[in-house]
Amino acid sequence: MVDILQFVILSTIRSGLYALIAIGFTLIFGVGGVLNLAHGASIILGAYAAYYASAAGLGVAGSMLAALVVPAVFGSLLYLFVIRRFEHEPIMVMILTLVTSVAVEQLVIELAGTQAKRVPQFLSGNMTIGGTSVQYNLIAVFALSWAIIIGLFLFINYTKPGKGILATSMSAKGASLVGIKSDRINLATWAIAGALAGIAGMALGSQLGATYHMGRNPLVLSFSIVVIGGIGSIRGSVVGAYLIGFLEVGVIQFVSSDLTGIAPLVVLILVLLVKPEGLFGRELAE
Amino acid sequence: MSDNDSTQTTGVLGRLNPITMPLRYKLGLVGLVLLGALPMFIDSTMALTFAGAYFFGVYAMSWDVVSGYTGQISFGHGLFFGVGGYTSALLNLGHGFDPLLSIPVGVVMAALAGIIIGVPALRLKGPYLSLVTLVAPLILVQIFIYRSDIFNGEQGLSGVDPLFGLNTFGDEAMFYYVAFGLFVFVLAVLWIVTRTDAGPVFTAIREDEDAVEAVGLSPAKFKIMAFVLSAAIGGLAGAMIVHTPNGNASPTTLLSITVNVEVIIAAILGGMGTIVGAAIGGVALILLRDQLSAVDLVVPLFDTPISDMDFLVFTLITFVLLFALPGGIIRWATGIGGWLTQRVRGEDPEIAADGGTKTPPEQVYENYTEELREILGGDDDDEH
Repeated sequence: MVDILQFVILSTIRSGLYALIAIGFTLIFGVGGVLNLAHGASIILGAYAAYYASAAGLGVAGSMLAALVVPAVFGSLLYLFVIRRFEHEPIMVMILTLVTSVAVEQLVIELAGTQAKRVPQFLSGNMTIGGTSVQYNLIAVFALSWAIIIGLFLFINYTKPGKGILATSMSAKGASLVGIKSDRINLATWAIAGALAGIAGMALGSQLGATYHMGRNPLVLSFSIVVIGGIGSIRGSVVGAYLIGFLEVGVIQFVSSDLTGIAPLVVLILVLLVKPEGLFGRELAE
Repeated sequence: MSDNDSTQTTGVLGRLNPITMPLRYKLGLVGLVLLGALPMFIDSTMALTFAGAYFFGVYAMSWDVVSGYTGQISFGHGLFFGVGGYTSALLNLGHGFDPLLSIPVGVVMAALAGIIIGVPALRLKGPYLSLVTLVAPLILVQIFIYRSDIFNGEQGLSGVDPLFGLNTFGDEAMFYYVAFGLFVFVLAVLWIVTRTDAGPVFTAIREDEDAVEAVGLSPAKFKIMAFVLSAAIGGLAGAMIVHTPNGNASPTTLLSITVNVEVIIAAILGGMGTIVGAAIGGVALILLRDQLSAVDLVVPLFDTPISDMDFLVFTLITFVLLFALPGGIIRWATGIGGWLTQRVRGEDPEIAADGGTKTPPEQVYENYTEELREILGGDDDDEH
């Protein structure tokens, strides 16, 4: 019983984080039509920005700010100087972003070494839920991810720039016809995606420490999540993140920790072969 | 090198006559002869570096035949190298097969893997195919880690017999010729395949699948054929490299993301859809990497010599090259070369007769974008 409860709590918290990561990935795909394989690099940058900020004595708030701003700037620069030039060549974008993420990993190795670094926790201490001890930090991570997801949902659906993003992802041509500047929308998407991945990176780092390869697994999980939910769908990403999160934690806890990462990949391939449009298809496109 | 001149009436044999060959082929032949004589002038370490570079050239060519020609972009060609390499290593270690026997089995297994990836590829378009190919080698690595008792996890299998009973120390020049022989063999096979009947069909699939179907040829059949050919050659290289000092059956040598990406980078930088470009790109990439690890120049900001951060510098250089020459070095060089020879002969340097057609990468990108649009739903002119 305690096992099951622990499984549910852990999965629920982990899935919220996965959702944060996958939403950024799916936003970029929906709006710009490119797969951003440097998304893992944003996660790494977020975690290390938080580490350096806290080492510089900026406290938790300062660390959070750094984890949001540094990857957002990284995403924006990547879009402005690289992606924009290859806008109509999605394969080049995949290759260049993949090379970028390898370069970021190497840079982190040069600057911070291969040892895991401690990233500050959002809150310290722990409490007991039904016999299971849960860190306050995890609860904070859960609350934060849902606050951001709901905030983003409201932003996309009820504000002008948000609606611009929605419109561009429905039809770039239609959006530009009504005067939405697709350049700016793309830039905003890359910045938002970077910030979301960055804060998720800090949250991941606060649980497991920051390492140079911490971005790989979440990136691959985002593929599965996004494909399950339907590429470009925010709602689908959240649902997909919970499916994948429960599956992943369940396999590790009840089958074998050696199988980490394999179940989501198999699901990804099955979904692609059976129902490539995902559970939610493209909710935005008519 | 343009693949549009492959429909000349002279046929393959006619074009193999060294005297009537175009200048660039003559240069290529001279280059191959020089490389054949190279072990006499370099030390054993350098010979092994070159051997590794040839293997990588074969990897890049195997990628090019399916991705460069038919436009089915594979992001995980390491899968085929891995299947070939691990099959051969396991048979050799576990059952005592001689490498000369286990390597062909590895090739067959890799070809089967080519069918397994090729068949779904018929249905999956654009980014979905990229995701499947990106993820397939990751699954294989996870299986290797899960069944570490068989595959020895991330360390991989070592201690396999070397090819032809050669000595790891002392026979470096022989290993050079093993790798060089494979390189020339694959180059010749793929050159012939792509310059005879199948090549134009592969190219046509990349350009317009419906047109291929309209003349009564099955694009599916040719796509599978390209996948199987590519997988078999990749598997051959993977199976052979584990029996040389250049590598062992481990994820790092055969399957890692780095290998998968570098293969693509090599082919694109060399010139996608030309085979020769991929061959040169693959060899050059490894040589460049090797040279970087010997540079002692200190990088100011980091205060470490380049040799200690060679991989970072290497990724930055490839990034810049991809950015500056997305069409590939070969295409760029033949463009300049053609212009120069015309100048020398006193002809008017004009735009080539096929100036209106698109380069392979352009065509692939265009198709990919179209497939993307179909998936994304929006933006089509016939939108309802």
